Amino acid sequence: MVINDNKEKALSILSRGDGKLQVHLNSCVRCGLCAESCIFYLSTGEERYIPARKVDLVSSVYRRYNTITGKLVPGLVKARELDEVTVMEMVDLLYGSCTMCGRCTAHCSVGVDISYLVRVGRAMLAEMGKVPSTLQSTVDAAIRTGNNMGIPVDELIDTLEWLEEDLQDDVGDSSAAIPVNKSNVSILYTLNPREPKFFPLSISAMAKIFYAAGESWTLSTKMYDVTNYAYYSGNLNEAREIARRLRDVMYELNARTCVLAECGHGSRSFRWEGPNYLQSSYSFETITSVELISRYLKEGRIRLDKSLNKERVTLHDPCNLVRSGGIFEEQRFILENAVSDFVEMNPYGYDNYCCGGGGGQLAMSEYGDRRLKAGELKVKQIKNTGAIIVVTPCHNCVDQLMQLNQVYKMNVKIKTLAEVVADALIL
Amino acid sequence: MQWYILISLGALAICLLSCLYHFFRLVRYGAPKDFSHKLGNTGAAIKYSFTGAMSPLKKESAYLHLPTYSAGMFYHIGTFLTIIVFLLQLTVIRFPVVLTYIFAFILILSAISGTGILIKRIVVRRLRKLSCPDDYISNIMVTLFQFITAFLLTGLIYQSVYYIAAAILLLYIPVGKLRHLVYFFAARYQLGYFYGWRGSWPPSKKY
Repeated sequence: MVINDNKEKALSILSRGDGKLQVHLNSCVRCGLCAESCIFYLSTGEERYIPARKVDLVSSVYRRYNTITGKLVPGLVKARELDEVTVMEMVDLLYGSCTMCGRCTAHCSVGVDISYLVRVGRAMLAEMGKVPSTLQSTVDAAIRTGNNMGIPVDELIDTLEWLEEDLQDDVGDSSAAIPVNKSNVSILYTLNPREPKFFPLSISAMAKIFYAAGESWTLSTKMYDVTNYAYYSGNLNEAREIARRLRDVMYELNARTCVLAECGHGSRSFRWEGPNYLQSSYSFETITSVELISRYLKEGRIRLDKSLNKERVTLHDPCNLVRSGGIFEEQRFILENAVSDFVEMNPYGYDNYCCGGGGGQLAMSEYGDRRLKAGELKVKQIKNTGAIIVVTPCHNCVDQLMQLNQVYKMNVKIKTLAEVVADALIL
Repeated sequence: MQWYILISLGALAICLLSCLYHFFRLVRYGAPKDFSHKLGNTGAAIKYSFTGAMSPLKKESAYLHLPTYSAGMFYHIGTFLTIIVFLLQLTVIRFPVVLTYIFAFILILSAISGTGILIKRIVVRRLRKLSCPDDYISNIMVTLFQFITAFLLTGLIYQSVYYIAAAILLLYIPVGKLRHLVYFFAARYQLGYFYGWRGSWPPSKKY
């Protein structure tokens, strides 16, 4: 591995005049108490996975180039050169053993935003062209084709057409529709490209909910992808470009609210990070589909019969939606109305363990074994609930949970929130 | 004024200037900027960041490591006490004898806590691998100064030793991780702001 000319650009990230960055780079006291918050450490017991080690990788490089002690007596404060060995270790630990779930951050004894520093480290690696090729190819597909799976528009339209026919049969109304590219609607709805590719029934489920609520909504074939894998790769320019496309479609179609599909990082990257990538606030409302469904229920726009979902259900809280997105009560309110037997995992909510699929892990096949091992904790949590159905409002989590289900033989069904709600809808 | 007091005053000035440099650098960067639409209450979250989020009822790093957490709390109480004692020593204010012995007792306890934390860092393999010389030096200096302050308060040590020890510690603060004296508060503020903006902190009452 050769450190290229962009090393200086990577280092310049650390000297940015940003209060948040400077605070977190200088705050870790290496107490190591974050170890038990990390699914990678807990599932393997390997010391190198302790979150403080990941912080130290980034902050030790910071110290070497930005502090007097680090420049004069690097050994005293473990200040490290940004050399090949450091870069290799950064790639392995920052990409390969962190989902940026932020559990360590919330429990850090000092308050270091560890997942933010991991993201800073990834941004440095992105500057040096060290993003794992598997992750980068996902970003490239999004930049090149408008969606991370490279689905051609005509294939999407075909899928939506047969889903629309199914919807009409299901609700017994030939006017039921999955609208595409309509202007001046209330809602522009987004999709995770995994939905049209592998899980079309989750699109049907949401369309059925929109139908029941009598909503004015549309999808855009130009830009419907809620995901933004550049958030994970650390390439700020690409992340900005992906966010800009979705924002611009909102303006083009003059929609009032952008509803983000069930995708943890997608909702985070567009709702919370997007305006900062673009350095401007959105002039429209941005909410998640979880909040929208909860709103429909509260306003009486949809009615549910929870006796239609009799099996025991548990909920997996996506980290980016809950811990880093503040959505906690809505999904519980929905499930209380949609299922007869709901049981929480332990721990849950803000303290929930990551499933292991976040941080771009699902895209990086080279770390697949590690990802499945890290998911062991989630498997234990699920088994302890005795649930038959695991609901999660995140397609990344759905994918990881499905793989865990297969590998660890959990014998559960994995569903999105919209699917469970659609099953209980009273039309 | 004795030479050793002058030295410690010089060290205090350097330490203060350095800490103020770090503090004002952060102030110059300004409050966090966020272009997204705010969902929660940042003020309440910052308050929570310094209170509830630090409690062993909520913080996993605390409730899973109660002995270390308790030792850490004692250790930091002792550290702040040494700072108060040092500043008061430079004035004409003197404590009542009873208070002097209470302070000395607290400092002995906190110094023992600090020693325990140091031993843990040496003995526990995962902590040893995480550590650098600064971690050991910082701990040893602070712990020793707590013992020395306790001995000074009980008249067991020369003033010159106390002031020289204070000067060494004060000069070391800006060098290594003891700078978290400034950054800890900024980190809790930043974290509270981050979670508060998004509505994650303070946590839902239903949680």
